[in-house]
Amino acid sequence: MNIVVCISNVPDTTTRIKFAEGSSAIDTAGIQWVINPWDELSLTRALELRDDPSSGVKKVTVAHAGPASSEPTIRKALAIGADDAIRVNCTPSDAYYTASQLAAAIGKEGFDIVICGIESSDFNGSAVGGMISEFLGIPSVSSVSGISMENGMPVITREIDGGRESVKVTLPFVAIVQKGIAKEPRIASMRGIMAARTKAVRLYEPVDADCLTEIAGFEKPAPRAACKYVDPDDPGKLIELLQNEAKVI
Amino acid sequence: MLKQLIFTVILVVTIAAFGYTVNRLIKLFRLTKPAFPVRDWGKRVNLLLKVALGQSKIFRRPVVGFFHALVFWGFCIIIFGSIEMVIDGISGAERSLSFLGPVYDVLMAAGDIFALLVGISIIIFTIRRSLLHVKRFTGVEMKSRSHVDAIVSLSLILLLMVSLILMNTGYLGLQLLSGTEIHGSYPVSRFIAGLLPGLSASGYSTLYHINWWVHILTIFFFANYLPYSKHFHVFMSVPNVFLSRLDPPGKLDNMESITGEVKLMLNPDTAYSQAPAGAVPERFGVKDAGDVTWKNYFDSLSCTECGRCTSVCPANLTGKKLSPRKVMMNLRARMKEIGPLMVKNGQDYTDNRSLVRDYVSEEELWACTTCNACVQECPVNINQPSLIVDMRRYLVLEEGAAPGELKSVFSNIENNGAPWQYPADDRLNWTKNLDFEIPVFAGLPAETKPEYLFWVGCAGAFDDRYKKVVRAFAGILNRLNVSYAVLGKEETCTGDPARRAGNEMLFQMQAMQVIEILKNYEVKKIITTCPHCFNTFKNEYPDLGGNYEVISYLQFLESSISEGKLKLDHRKIKGTGITFHDPCYLGRANNIYSEPREIIKTLSPGLVEMKRNKSFALCCGAGGGQMFKEAEKGDQEIFIERTGEALETGADTIATACPFCMTMITDGLKYKNREENVRNLDIAELVAEAMEM
Repeated sequence: MNIVVCISNVPDTTTRIKFAEGSSAIDTAGIQWVINPWDELSLTRALELRDDPSSGVKKVTVAHAGPASSEPTIRKALAIGADDAIRVNCTPSDAYYTASQLAAAIGKEGFDIVICGIESSDFNGSAVGGMISEFLGIPSVSSVSGISMENGMPVITREIDGGRESVKVTLPFVAIVQKGIAKEPRIASMRGIMAARTKAVRLYEPVDADCLTEIAGFEKPAPRAACKYVDPDDPGKLIELLQNEAKVI
Repeated sequence: MLKQLIFTVILVVTIAAFGYTVNRLIKLFRLTKPAFPVRDWGKRVNLLLKVALGQSKIFRRPVVGFFHALVFWGFCIIIFGSIEMVIDGISGAERSLSFLGPVYDVLMAAGDIFALLVGISIIIFTIRRSLLHVKRFTGVEMKSRSHVDAIVSLSLILLLMVSLILMNTGYLGLQLLSGTEIHGSYPVSRFIAGLLPGLSASGYSTLYHINWWVHILTIFFFANYLPYSKHFHVFMSVPNVFLSRLDPPGKLDNMESITGEVKLMLNPDTAYSQAPAGAVPERFGVKDAGDVTWKNYFDSLSCTECGRCTSVCPANLTGKKLSPRKVMMNLRARMKEIGPLMVKNGQDYTDNRSLVRDYVSEEELWACTTCNACVQECPVNINQPSLIVDMRRYLVLEEGAAPGELKSVFSNIENNGAPWQYPADDRLNWTKNLDFEIPVFAGLPAETKPEYLFWVGCAGAFDDRYKKVVRAFAGILNRLNVSYAVLGKEETCTGDPARRAGNEMLFQMQAMQVIEILKNYEVKKIITTCPHCFNTFKNEYPDLGGNYEVISYLQFLESSISEGKLKLDHRKIKGTGITFHDPCYLGRANNIYSEPREIIKTLSPGLVEMKRNKSFALCCGAGGGQMFKEAEKGDQEIFIERTGEALETGADTIATACPFCMTMITDGLKYKNREENVRNLDIAELVAEAMEM
């Protein structure tokens, strides 16, 4: 059984985002790129399954749609333990385009389970996973918080309001996963880092696909106002501020 | 003639048995890996004189240390007589070294007196061990076998001393009665002979001969018993001291195999190619006895299980499973188990057990704070933390196994250049609203070359409490018109927490990046407030080509005060007493003890020492990666123990000199509900408080 994990290349989560081109694009200068945290956990869970002989999972492939500059992120995934990788050589624009490219490439590879993070920490569109399953014409389960294998069949758990839901699904399928899928991301071992340098990354050229949406502009939230300190001996001032300025009482 | 013959046969058997043991040990040593080259013989001789002959570390516990020193010195003297007995035994002569005249007299007299002193000491040790319930003779690793072994060894030594004195007594009586010349002088035996007036010449002769044989046979037996006993240290400790690791204890060894890999990765031409053949070791770090260096194994054979290391280990003191003594005992036991099988079946032989996990658990390994208290205390210069870190290296580099919080720290350092999740863009936030400018290298005109790089460190940049410390220190630099600049957004973690948590790869990646940045700005002198960064720059970067003059801010402050450049008004200091908590990475790791004390002395209300101070100081609990993870299970948190000790002094200011110590002590004060009336300030803040305006 093979698992394909889709990985997105996103700015490190601590990055102070700056905008370019009149606030319609992100200024990428000086950004450290990382594997999207949801995808990193998906990869960790996929590798846990592969490393457990009873699961029947034999191979984990990472799939990425992006330009050659994403290569270090793909290598990172290989260092963490993925067996090989595919990359669609394109500049992803919106979810529809990205999902088209990933679905086309994944469709040409043999797979049983596709795992996608529910969202990526850059644009948080939460759409790619579902679209991939539609393009491939296979079922998907969203908001997955656990995947395990029982007698060669996947058992999915989902956190729902006030409890947990178990879902059985036929293979092949797309799992769209939440962060609880693995406890903490796996780190690359030294052997993994060394092996990653020579693992195969298969390259696909993009297929024709439309961009259905376009980002018109970004804006940042207003900066936090300075904290006002009130003398503890002057509660009247506090009440006045809460009433007239904060207008909360 | 018969005596000669019997003696020679026994001697040959003894030597053959000993030879067998030595041969066996050499084969085991051949399984180990290279350590450092043994150079600097002058330094080594010096160590030998101080630590071995001078028993300097034994005397860190003066009372029991004194008795041990008596035994050690006694052995050194008495061995002269033993050599003579062997010569006499082979040659059939008597007192064959007596031609040395007065020297012989002195040596014999000293041996005779020491026999009594050693005997008394051994009796004291035996009583202490069996009746006094000394805490450090207990612990999970102290099985009854260890105690039996100890009692056997003590009994054998006592037998050696008693037989020596009785032999001398017999000899004296015999010579006196026969009127022949007495070679040597024997004050103790003369006194005992005086108590046995009724003995005939043949009685003295029997006394002499029986004890001669008892003494020499005990020596022969003892020599062959020792290598299988914890008391092997009788042979191994002096060579172990001579072969000590001479690097500062704060320094961890560079892994060359990783350096090669990092260089390949940082070079775009080789980044995606196969590593050159032979560059990849069979194993990164230590998993089993075959991965340790000869020095680790030597250490384990030199350990006599005295437990001084464990008795000062902050993790062990607070109920965690880690015991540095156990780690050494485990290595010796594991080598005994697997070594002979590897000798027989080849280096690759495995019994599916290993030192890591089957002997030393991950829980033990992750509890170490790398405070070096064990190294400081070990009377025979064993280095426990380097082996512990090598086992962590195995876990991280080979298995990617580490506590979850440390994995996050690795990711953070890799992604945003700090152990915490903060962007490099925020690294200058601490400079906001200062009434002076902080010069930043990148913003300086090309021709301006500041004398110092002020290395702020991740805590200085991101920890809200510690930002105040770097602000205070920058204020002092500014006041003194020091030519300096900071790296600002270009600064990144030195890699220290990664290295101590076993992630050598990440450490070296960080180090090489930092060295590159410093090269761009032609940095020659670094001044820093963080002891961990200080230690890494000073002791560890040279291995990777980063050579700088590294100055701790305490050294800088102390010299500025003593040279009169920095004037302090001690009346400005609030409070009634200051106690100082020694950071491990300034104190034990780098021997900086006097500077903070000199500074505090210039501040009213003066210094009150804690019970454990200077090289005896207890770690705050945050070193070795502990700052970023939950402590292992135990009875108590280390920082609470240390804060309690600080509070016992009655001082209302606890001075610290390290960002991690500050966090720990501040937390301790909160835990003890004392943050209202006890201040925790960094020395830089105290100096800033006392600065004359």
